[in-house]
Amino acid sequence: MSDYGSPGAAASGVRLDSFSYDDAIVRKFLWATVIWGIVGFLMGLIVAIQMAAPSFNLAPWFAFGRLRPLHTNAVIFAFAGNAIFTGVYYSTQRLLKARMFSDTLSTLHFWGWQAIIVSAALTLPFGFTQAKEYAELEWPIDIAIAIVWVIFAVNVIGTLVRRRERHIYVAIWFFLASIVTVAILHIFNNLSIPAGPLKSYSIYAGVQDAFMQWWYGHNAVAFFLTTPFLGLMYYFMPKAAEGPVFSYRLSIVHFWTLVFMYIWAGPHHLHYTALPEWASTLGMLFSVMLWAPSWGGMINGLLTLRGAWHKVVDDPVLKFMVVAITGYGMATFEGPMLSVKSVNALAHYTDWIVAHVHTGALSWNGFLTFGMIYWLAPRLFQTPLFSKKLAEAHFWVASFGIILYVVAIYSAGVTQGLMWRAFDETGRLAYPDFVETVARLVPMYWVRVAGGSLYITGAILFAYNIFRTWRARPAAYAVPVIQAAPLPKKVVAAPAPAPVPAGAWARFTSLGWHRKWEGLPITFTVLTTVAVIVASLFEIIPTFLIKSNVPTIAAVKPFTPLELAGRDLYIREGCFNCHSQMIRPFRYETERYGDYSKPGESVYEHPFLWGSRRIGPDLAREGGKYPDLWHVRHFQNPRAISPKSIMPAYGHLMTAELDFEGIQSRVDAMAMLGVPYGEAVSNAPSMARAQALTIANSIAAGGGDSGLETREIVAMIAYMQRLGRDTRQGVLGANAERHRPDSAGTGGVATAGSAR
Amino acid sequence: MSLTEIMSNAGLSRYAEIALLLFFFAFVVIVWRIYRPGRRAWLERQARLPLDDDQGTPPRSHTG
Repeated sequence: MSDYGSPGAAASGVRLDSFSYDDAIVRKFLWATVIWGIVGFLMGLIVAIQMAAPSFNLAPWFAFGRLRPLHTNAVIFAFAGNAIFTGVYYSTQRLLKARMFSDTLSTLHFWGWQAIIVSAALTLPFGFTQAKEYAELEWPIDIAIAIVWVIFAVNVIGTLVRRRERHIYVAIWFFLASIVTVAILHIFNNLSIPAGPLKSYSIYAGVQDAFMQWWYGHNAVAFFLTTPFLGLMYYFMPKAAEGPVFSYRLSIVHFWTLVFMYIWAGPHHLHYTALPEWASTLGMLFSVMLWAPSWGGMINGLLTLRGAWHKVVDDPVLKFMVVAITGYGMATFEGPMLSVKSVNALAHYTDWIVAHVHTGALSWNGFLTFGMIYWLAPRLFQTPLFSKKLAEAHFWVASFGIILYVVAIYSAGVTQGLMWRAFDETGRLAYPDFVETVARLVPMYWVRVAGGSLYITGAILFAYNIFRTWRARPAAYAVPVIQAAPLPKKVVAAPAPAPVPAGAWARFTSLGWHRKWEGLPITFTVLTTVAVIVASLFEIIPTFLIKSNVPTIAAVKPFTPLELAGRDLYIREGCFNCHSQMIRPFRYETERYGDYSKPGESVYEHPFLWGSRRIGPDLAREGGKYPDLWHVRHFQNPRAISPKSIMPAYGHLMTAELDFEGIQSRVDAMAMLGVPYGEAVSNAPSMARAQALTIANSIAAGGGDSGLETREIVAMIAYMQRLGRDTRQGVLGANAERHRPDSAGTGGVATAGSAR
Repeated sequence: MSLTEIMSNAGLSRYAEIALLLFFFAFVVIVWRIYRPGRRAWLERQARLPLDDDQGTPPRSHTG
C-alpha cells in the first residue's frame, strides 16, 4: 500500500478522485508489437538467407545492403519500440494512479510512430540512408521522430505531474532516463545539412563523426534496448512473480550507476581505429565498470523469484522472463569483455559482434517482450490466454532457435577472426584471399537460417495465441473505476518524521532535499538530463578539441564531383554494411590491405564510412588495385571474378543513368560544411561528365562495354579508384598484392585506375 | 567561425576532471542515502507499488 492516494484514504474522509486507465492505447501498441515483430524477424531471416545464398539478392531494393538496415530498424524501433510503449503506457498509469495526461497525445504518439516505421520501410529499400548504423533514416523522418518523441515525453511527464502517488517507482526512473537520453542522442547524432528531399550529409566528418555515431550507437543500445526494458523488468517481473523486487535499494543503485556509466562507453566500438587512444581507453574502462551494475540488476531480477521458483515450471510468462534476464546477464558480461582491447582486436569486424547483439536482442528484448505480452494479454483482452501449451511450445522452439543461432555465429566470428590473423610458416598470410575466410562461414550461416526460422516459428505461434485470445474478448471491455486521493500540493512528511536537523550542513546531509527531488518529476527529469549531458560533453568536447591535433595530411583532397556521386551510390547500396574502410595497425591487416588508416585521411568524410563489419574485405586502400574493367565485371557478377564470393550483383549500375545535374546540390552541401570544393561549387556537373568520359573510355579500351559515360557504374568506379590514393606511399602490403586473386581475364596486375 | 573552432578555443580542458569529481560525489551521496539506516521500511513499502496498483471499485460496462 502506498503512502498516499490509497483507497483507505476514503475512510479517513479524504476526497477521492475517480478515474480509469486508458488501456485502449496499450492494446494498440501491443498489436503493433506483435505485427512489427513478425515483420522484423522475417527481414532478419531474409538477410540471413542472402548471406548464405547470394542469389537470394533478388533485386536492387531486395539486396542485403539495403535490407539489413531495414531489419535492424524494424526490430529495434518497430518491435522493441512498440513493446516499450506497450509496457510504459500500462505501467505508468498504474504506478502513478493516473490516466495518461492526454488521450489525444497518446493517439498521436501511436499513429505517428507507426507512420515513421512505414516511412522507414518505404525509404530504406530504395537506398535513402544516412549510412549511420541505427540512425539510417533521412532527415525528414528524423524530424518526425523528434516530434513524436516530444509528444511521448510530454504525455509521460504530464502524467507524472498529475499523479496521485507521491513516490515515483524505480521503473519510471528508467523510463524517464530513456526518454530524455534518446532525445539527446537522436538530435545530436542526426544533425546534418540537407542536399535534397531525402539526402543529407552529417555535419561531422571523419573522427568526430565516428565518435558521435558510436556515442549514439552504443547508447541507443543502452537507452533504447536496455534501460526501458529494465523499467519493464522492475514492473512486470514482480507482477508475474507476485512478490516485490528482491532489493529496491539495489534497483536504485542500478539505475544511477547505469545513468552515470553507460553514456561514456561508446568509444569501445572504435578500438584500434583512427580514434585517439585516450578516448578508446576511456570507453574500455567505463565498459568494464558496467559489469557491476549490470550484474547487480540481473541478480536483482532473478532473485525477485526467491521462494517462487516452483512457479517457473508451470508458468510460461516466468519462463520467458527468467531466460530474458539471464540473456541480459550473458550480454552484459560479454559486452565489457568485448570492450577489452585485446579481445576486441579479435572480435571486431567479425560475426562475434553479431552473435553478441543477438544474444541480447533475441533473449533479453525478445523474451522479455513475449513474457510481458503473455502476462498482459489476458488482462487487456479480459479473457484467459487462448493456450498455455502453445505459449510453452513458443518458449521451447524459440529457445532452441536462439541456441542454434548464437552457437553458429559465435563459431563463425571466432573462425573468421582467427583466419584473418593467421600466418604460415614462411611469415605470409595463411589465408591471403579474403573470400576463403567467407566461404568457410557459409555452413554456419545456414545453421543461423535454421535457428532464425525456429525463432520466427515461435513468434508465429505467439501471434496466433494472442490473436485467438483477442478473438475471445468480451463484447465490451469492462473499464474499472479507480479511486485515489489527489496528492497534496506540498510534500507531506512521512509518518513519524525524523526531527529536522539544525544548521545548513546538517539539513543538507539529512538528504530531505533529495527525497523532495523524487517527488518533483520535472526536476528529476532535468537532473537526469544534466547527468547525461555532462557525461556526454565530457567525452565529446575533447573530440572537438582534438581537431587541431588531427595531423593534417596535405595530400588529402576532397572527392571530385563524380567521386562524390559514386560515394553516394556506395551509401545508397549499403556497401558499408559489409565493407570497412579502416585498416587497423596490426601486421595481419597491413599485410592484407596496406598501410593503416590515419585520422587525417577522413577529414572530408561526411559521414564517415569506417564500417563495423567485414563480410567483404576492407576497401580503405582499394583505389588503383584493379583496372576499371575489373570493377565493371565485378559489379556485374562478383562470382564471375571470385566464385566463392557472396556479394550481391550490381548489374543495375550498368544501365541506370547518373543524375549529373543533381551532383551540384551535393557539392554545394559539402561546401557548406567546409569542404574546400573550389571551382566545383559552380561547375560540378561538367567536371563530373569529363571524368566520367575518361573512365568510360578506359573501360571501352580494355574491351568492356562502350557508352558507359552516363551510367552510374562510372561514378562508383571513380569512387572505388580514389579510395586510399591520396596517401598512398606506393608500398602496399606486398603479400596482399601478390596473393590478390587476379581478375580472371579482365585485366592483369593493378595499374592506375581512372584518370582524375 | 565554425562550432568546432568555438569549442576548440573555449578553454575547457579542465572540464573533464571537474565533471568526473561531480559524478563521483553525486554517486556517493546517492549510495549513502539509499543504504543509510532507517530507510529500510520506507523502501520496502515503495517496492510493493507494482503489486498494489490495480485496486479499484467493481467495473462498469464501457466500450473500450
